Amino acid sequence: MSEILAKTESVVKKGKALGADEVLAKTVFSRNRQVRFSNNQIDTSLAWNNYVTYVVLSWKKRVVVTQIANFQKVNLSLNRLFKLAKVSRENPTHEGFAKGKFDYRKSVADRTVDSLENPAEYVFEAVEAAKKMAGPETNTGGIFLTSVSDVYQVSSEGPAGGDCRSAVELSIRAFSGKEASGHAVECSSTLKGFDPARAGKKSGEIAKQAKNPKQGMEGKYDVVFDPLFVGSLLGIWRSMTSAYNVMVQLSIFVNKLGEKVSSESVTLRDVPASYSMANRVFDDEGVPTQENVIIEKGQLKTYLHNTSTAKIFKTKTTANAGIVFPMPWNIEMDSGDINSEELLKEVRHGLYLTNTWYTRFQNYKTGDFSTIPRDGIFQIENGEIKQSLKNIRLSDNALRMLRNITGISKERQHVHWWEEADPPSLSPYILMKDVHITISK
Amino acid sequence: MDKDLVDFALSYAMSKGIEYAEVRAHSEKSERLAMKNGVLDAFSSAVDSGFCVRILADGGIGFASTNRWTRKEAKSIVEIAYKLAKMAKRKYKITFAKEKGVKASWKVEEKRKIEDISIETRIATFIEMDKELTSQGISIPGRMFSSGTSLTEKYFVNTEDSVISSYVPRVSAYGFITVVESGKSEQAYKQFGFTGGWEALEEWGLVEQMINEAKMLQSVIKEARALTPGKMDLVCGPEVTGIAAHESCGHPMEADRILGREMSQAGTSFIYPQGPFWLGTKIGSSKVNVVDDPTIKSSYGYYEYDDEGIKARPRYLYKKGVINEFLQNRESASKLGTRSNGSSRSTSYDREAIVRMANTYVQPDDFGEEEIFEDVKHGIYMKSFTEWNIDDKRFNQRYVGREAYWIENGELKHRIARPIVETTTPIFWSAVDAVSKRVEYDAATCGKGDPEQGIPVYTGGPMMRIRGVYMK
Repeated sequence: MSEILAKTESVVKKGKALGADEVLAKTVFSRNRQVRFSNNQIDTSLAWNNYVTYVVLSWKKRVVVTQIANFQKVNLSLNRLFKLAKVSRENPTHEGFAKGKFDYRKSVADRTVDSLENPAEYVFEAVEAAKKMAGPETNTGGIFLTSVSDVYQVSSEGPAGGDCRSAVELSIRAFSGKEASGHAVECSSTLKGFDPARAGKKSGEIAKQAKNPKQGMEGKYDVVFDPLFVGSLLGIWRSMTSAYNVMVQLSIFVNKLGEKVSSESVTLRDVPASYSMANRVFDDEGVPTQENVIIEKGQLKTYLHNTSTAKIFKTKTTANAGIVFPMPWNIEMDSGDINSEELLKEVRHGLYLTNTWYTRFQNYKTGDFSTIPRDGIFQIENGEIKQSLKNIRLSDNALRMLRNITGISKERQHVHWWEEADPPSLSPYILMKDVHITISK
Repeated sequence: MDKDLVDFALSYAMSKGIEYAEVRAHSEKSERLAMKNGVLDAFSSAVDSGFCVRILADGGIGFASTNRWTRKEAKSIVEIAYKLAKMAKRKYKITFAKEKGVKASWKVEEKRKIEDISIETRIATFIEMDKELTSQGISIPGRMFSSGTSLTEKYFVNTEDSVISSYVPRVSAYGFITVVESGKSEQAYKQFGFTGGWEALEEWGLVEQMINEAKMLQSVIKEARALTPGKMDLVCGPEVTGIAAHESCGHPMEADRILGREMSQAGTSFIYPQGPFWLGTKIGSSKVNVVDDPTIKSSYGYYEYDDEGIKARPRYLYKKGVINEFLQNRESASKLGTRSNGSSRSTSYDREAIVRMANTYVQPDDFGEEEIFEDVKHGIYMKSFTEWNIDDKRFNQRYVGREAYWIENGELKHRIARPIVETTTPIFWSAVDAVSKRVEYDAATCGKGDPEQGIPVYTGGPMMRIRGVYMK
């Protein structure tokens, strides 16, 4: 057992000695580096290291949480936390933390991420690729992020183990004109095979194609969504599969377990896989993470659970704890049987949308919302991209859109950017019919 | 907070070949409760404390932070920040607008000290609110509340001899409810924020506000009618005025956006050098005066010095309908040949300070609230909003009414279900022809930065009448 795991276990033992019914402790030592760039130059480079132990304690179903930095003042912190539990209130829906001893699969994190000497080179490579594609006047901006976290988790209920989680992300937006841009990302858990030029090239390609945009028109369109945009859509649907959001009516999936919620071509999984920026071997209760099929051929199979929400819904945890909020790790949409070019060719009169931002709901239960496509927006006529467009809004319904998916590509890309395509996902191109587009008047 | 260690880190940074350095320590004691459907899920209490160094060297910026308070760690983050600054290899060197050093210490008083309020009282306040809410005979199957307090101590030093200490207490609360009636649902989200002590709870009238929201949503389901789309007048309540001020005035006036520094995430601005809109360009009617003011006492976005050590002051963004002043930090001000107006804020020791709003609002004018309606033949009164968004250049925006009414010949008639205004920034602000006397504020958490830095702000304004916009 490593020294840090032993110290984490000591926190749990001390909490139990105070009289707590259950104690969870998770120590995270994270090293993060980020290069931010705009106007083809590096604006700032940032490094932030954190060394924190998160402690969750329950006593007579009262759940309290704290954090301890660097194992400093452990006794004081735990004493305060236990006193806090004594004056807090019972949570009758707290059904205890996961019990048992588990064998965890080996972490596959890439520790070389931590020792990357010159991250600026990755940025310059992406910028040059974008300029090569869209021309020397192309203006680019974005971020390059590397992150490595050592995680040590101990529960008084049995689970104990260590994990290392690594992430690499390059996000680049290229402008070939004030109103012509393309955005692309390269995301991975490892530097092996990580290709910043691939994102640069794609952002440049879209930016070049997006030149001289015309005002888009209101109406219903068949739409091909790029994997980056699909990442945002998956972000919407995934948050609604958390049992917590179902319980507070922040979901289109309330009372729909077992029902058909999408077209039969759709299968969605939560998979904290080794390739993903969100790779992990256990959840926040120490339960080994697993593949969960959320929607199978259009049918809603499960919500995402921790131990407590699982008991409320009379099922088993899906290893998605969050102590309060069960959460997805990495969403995968199963690939389809045609390639993206064939998908485009199926569209007689429609749109190809590459990215979006600022998604907001009128009603999460009914699913009415809008989001604003940005970067390349293209009109498709008879299976070919004909014209770049601008200034449109997608104003539709999250449930109806899920049901209107008519095509899914073979190709998939691991995507994540900022808060807009989060959590990370493995996203294909999708074709959706009758998407409602509105414009400013 | 070990201020000697912070001073040591600055001294160590000065031993390097640097143009500028600052060290900012940030210690926050926070307590938060989370409740759903009447049940307290968890109560958290924690102290998060650390410090960061930002170095300008060879025209590049490096930033590093730690939560380990040791000399070894202080030296380490200086070394990292210095190395990162040198890595930039910029063709165009970054400079900061000139400022004199400042020595200051400021704090916000609490009429009712947060630390004197027992945990039992805090929890009971929200449990009781939930009981009151659910005893109104309204079906509210989804209820989510959270509330937090924070006591933030900061210590800032830089190589220009600035030494600034501060203490800021804040109280916040969030409520989200789903009302169901006859198989239909409506939802509302309310946020409350205050800089000061527990007296915030008396000012908010939380219980009354949430009950009113629930009753309103029930009435909307029962009574609201669909709107026949067309051009008509729109009267915005303060909540709608405030979000428009924030989204289509405050954000596009952030100088870092204007200069492209946020181009990949939060986006750009319709205002840019050599573009159709710049300082001095008309963007709205002469009734439009939008201010961003961090100095409003007790406001959620209150501060006296920003996170670059610059004295806070009101910023007059749109003045009589003309683009007047951008929000600046020292980096953007230097590029634009001006001075910082104290708009640089950070949420934590491990986040760089960037250009942010504080409290953005439309200034009042001389119309009485009844006068605003008097002259409207056909129109909508949008008192509050639900869905909203705006494109990343801050030009195409949309607000959907949560509570809204039909106006006919100056009188409020029936409720309207989710009316929508979807228009451009110049159309919206140019059509303002009347502004009322009384300003109201709403708390909000403004998102920007990567990693995200949700920062406390107020949005606000009076009632505002907009002539002849397309509504649907």
